Amino acid sequence: MKEFKYTVTDPVGIHARPAGILVKEAKNFVSKITITKGEKSADMRKLLALMGLGVKQGEEVTVQIEGDDEEACAAYIEKFFSENF
Amino acid sequence: MALDYHKCAQEIVDHIGGRENVAQAAHCATRLRLVIKDNSKVDKEYLDNVDGVKGMFESNGQLQLIIGTGTVNKVYDEFLAITGMTAATKDDVKAAAAEKQPLWKKLLKPIGDVFVPILPAIVASGLLMGLVEALGKAIPGFSSTAWYGFLDMAANTAFAFLPVIVAISAARVFGGNIFLGAVIGLMMVHTGLLNAWNAGSADAINAFFGVTDGQIPTWNLLGNLSIGGYTIGSISRVGYQGHVIPVIIAVWLMCKIESWLHKKVPEMLDLFITPITTVLVTALLTFTIIGPIFSGLETIVLEGAKVLVQNPLGACVMGAIYPWTVVMGLHHMYNVIEAGMLSSAEFNNLNIWMPIASAANFAQFGACLAVGLKTRNQKTKAVAVPSSLSAALGITEPAIFGVNMRFFKPFIAGMIGGAAGSLLGALMGIGAKSYGVTGIPGYLTIDRPVPYTILLAVSGGIAFVLTNILWHEEEKPKAAAASAPAEPAAPAAAPSAAPAAAPAFVEKAVIKCSAGEIGTPVAGKVISYEDIPDPTFASGALGVGVGIEPEDDTVYAPMDGTISTVAESKHAIGISGAGDMELLIHVGVDTVEMNGDGFAPCVKEGDTVKKGQAILKFDRDKIKAANHPETVVVLLTNSDDYEDVKFGENA
Repeated sequence: MKEFKYTVTDPVGIHARPAGILVKEAKNFVSKITITKGEKSADMRKLLALMGLGVKQGEEVTVQIEGDDEEACAAYIEKFFSENF
Repeated sequence: MALDYHKCAQEIVDHIGGRENVAQAAHCATRLRLVIKDNSKVDKEYLDNVDGVKGMFESNGQLQLIIGTGTVNKVYDEFLAITGMTAATKDDVKAAAAEKQPLWKKLLKPIGDVFVPILPAIVASGLLMGLVEALGKAIPGFSSTAWYGFLDMAANTAFAFLPVIVAISAARVFGGNIFLGAVIGLMMVHTGLLNAWNAGSADAINAFFGVTDGQIPTWNLLGNLSIGGYTIGSISRVGYQGHVIPVIIAVWLMCKIESWLHKKVPEMLDLFITPITTVLVTALLTFTIIGPIFSGLETIVLEGAKVLVQNPLGACVMGAIYPWTVVMGLHHMYNVIEAGMLSSAEFNNLNIWMPIASAANFAQFGACLAVGLKTRNQKTKAVAVPSSLSAALGITEPAIFGVNMRFFKPFIAGMIGGAAGSLLGALMGIGAKSYGVTGIPGYLTIDRPVPYTILLAVSGGIAFVLTNILWHEEEKPKAAAASAPAEPAAPAAAPSAAPAAAPAFVEKAVIKCSAGEIGTPVAGKVISYEDIPDPTFASGALGVGVGIEPEDDTVYAPMDGTISTVAESKHAIGISGAGDMELLIHVGVDTVEMNGDGFAPCVKEGDTVKKGQAILKFDRDKIKAANHPETVVVLLTNSDDYEDVKFGENA
């Protein structure tokens, strides 16, 4: 299992549009991706669940990736985070 | 060489695929911002070389052409002229709405537009002032305490500097610089001028100017040049405390001057020539023309009032026109009349003016309360009820300007009520033993409470009943709705209640799949998601669905389900429905930047909703003002999970 933490710097946080792209990307991998903020966590394949976390600027999220392609997936997702959030 | 704005705009239009390819056009300080329907029709290379275009880029689904400060607005104007598009700004929408109205409504509308935003300030001050003044009269000795002094100061701030607040709001309404507007407002209550409330007191005048004749000195800018009795260029050194109309006129004038200068003055000089000229010319015109006209009116009203109050019929007339004098800001002078009566044997040392003022004010209370109770519009109710309380305490400005005047019929009802009450008061011969309070606090100074009660009941009652008969909510023109920002007409919106008034269009499916049907969440033109003016939504990355160009401001649940998310910025709502359908309703494009301003969700995360239930209201004017497309995006976010998804107007 891979895990990384990320602090969101985008002023509007993880909102609908970038979240949608993230979900789309997540579906290209077979690994299970879970994003956690505080006590709430969401399956990164579910847009509404992801949006429901309501991640704002300055908040830290933990992303866990587990599955056959977790290496590549983790690298990709982490890069996506740093570029978009 | 000066830029040929028309040529520049024409070349832009020609190389972005023409008028048909532009969904929306707006501009900011430096850039022309275009929402393009089909980016492939845009000739980017050519555009980059158009004379006047300093650069271009695409961002947030907009094609942005850098043109530069001071020129972009001119190119934009030409752009609109060529394409025949209308500017996507609030002002234009309002102006268009105003076009169709009769003249009296056109004249009244700015007053409403100016007053609605400042109502919180004057309602708070009005209520506080009424209470503090009443306590001062009711509790012996209270008016000399430290608490009274402090409360009085805190309570009357908004009224003491009302012209400043009005000026700022007016500058916004008329499209001028609000800081220049503030300067005009401040100038009109400058401490170098005599406070208008003291204009009737010779002692105050003598003390303020160090004179002995009790006359307000003037500044004669052109010496003694005069026509008839009017000295040209003469400025009476008195402020405009409590005035509203002269301030609105002055600021309107200022905005006209400012916008004219912006067009005429070369860009390089614009920043210092325009403000200085605007302020100076406005100040001169205000103090030499508007001022004298209003002080002339003041004198006429004062003299007229003195004559009128001598007989009951005159009192009746005075009761009817009293609210007009408040509107014109002429009511300051009445203290002079009242003080005169108290010291005059002719009136038996009785202030018979006060019953007239009370009747007129209490009638405005009755009319305003009727509006507050009758309206189904929550915003109007929220304004009208506290405004009426303030009026009952004798401070009528919030009720008159914020409610009665805007809808006008309640104002007429108030005039009739005031006339009836004044007539009755004069016939019964009641009067007050001092001056300064009206309405409920008037009991503290009136000589006979029982007839006074009858007077209040008659004036307030008549106004209340007449307003109920004459005024109907539907009559509120569309423009009034536009003038009250953030006011979606409130249809049945009881959360999680049965959809009492679910509009028919909700039943029309825009997305269909094996799991079920999704109806139309908002009235408007349905377009494919591919035509949504945003590359991400249009790409289908977030799922397929439709966009709706809204014609209304309420989003209804398009299917039964559970609210799975309400965006922090309130502009997007997720609903989970039958068969795990995950629907995203996102109002406008890039509206996340508005941080929730203009959006009012009626549901919260976890709520169960029924198809047709109102779930979100949004302010179309605000979205337009923020230069965002207002397309409501409706996407089945997990459309990949279904194989037979159909979408569109005839799904």
